Amino acid sequence: MKPDARSFRIALVADEFVNPPPGGLDAVAVAARTGWGVMQLPADEYPPEVAGPLLAEVAEQMEEFSRHGYGFVLVGERAGLAEALAQVGVAVPDGISPQTPAQLAEFLDGRPAPRAAQATA
Amino acid sequence: MGVAFVAHCMLNQNSKVAEGAHCAGIYSPIVDVLRAKGWRIEQMPCPELAFTGLNRFWAVKEQLDTAAYRRHCERLAEAVAAAISVRVKQGEDVVLVGVEGSPSMGVTITSSDPLRGGRPEWPEGTAEHVSGEGILVEEIRKALAKRGIGFPRVAGETHAIPGHDEAVQRAGLESTLEG
Repeated sequence: MKPDARSFRIALVADEFVNPPPGGLDAVAVAARTGWGVMQLPADEYPPEVAGPLLAEVAEQMEEFSRHGYGFVLVGERAGLAEALAQVGVAVPDGISPQTPAQLAEFLDGRPAPRAAQATA
Repeated sequence: MGVAFVAHCMLNQNSKVAEGAHCAGIYSPIVDVLRAKGWRIEQMPCPELAFTGLNRFWAVKEQLDTAAYRRHCERLAEAVAAAISVRVKQGEDVVLVGVEGSPSMGVTITSSDPLRGGRPEWPEGTAEHVSGEGILVEEIRKALAKRGIGFPRVAGETHAIPGHDEAVQRAGLESTLEG
């Protein structure tokens, strides 16, 4: 694949960190600063019949990224994620429930280079 | 304020077709406007990523418009429409932010060339942008109609459109958000 600006790094992010309450931690802003993409996990307020299909699509997309060696982390938690990932044979990535933006940035910056990035370097 | 259902690549440029990523991950020109205006963000699935994969070619609508891809998009659209339905029932304002020129995510401009196929070469400058919606957006429209929900206001990221102007893109999004 010809190179472009992508980072090959993707954070699965719980909704509370994508749409934080006032004073909450904005993981999207941290991802923008550190060069990570975000896959948003369904909001906890959605009933299972709404959240389930959305989680299944997250898992299917993660499967494709994983096949190509993209790097993943999990920010926060989401019930049902592990089961959805198991359906496509993908392990739950290393995760963090950050208390501060600096803590999250340090975690993201400290991740090893993903295999896909090394292949295009 | 309300809920913006955004194309997957607004938060994850890694999903783009090869040579299509404009930045590392977050497409800030759209996200920053939504944040500044206090809109909630809901990321939609990328229809092309899981179906045609990361090594897909650039494509026009006719190349993707197969029965199998329609079924795939119909499944995704049902998931998105169910989430939109929850928001609408709660009385929240909803907009949809797509990708202009995309065969799947275009909201007012898609790409079309009925003759394109075979070896992936075509004359430089071949016109392909036409008025219309991408395939997933069409399926979301159908899925919402089945639920008796009106189609939301739309805005689009316009990088693929000749003459792309970030200020115009921002003004279009702000106008959509204001209703």
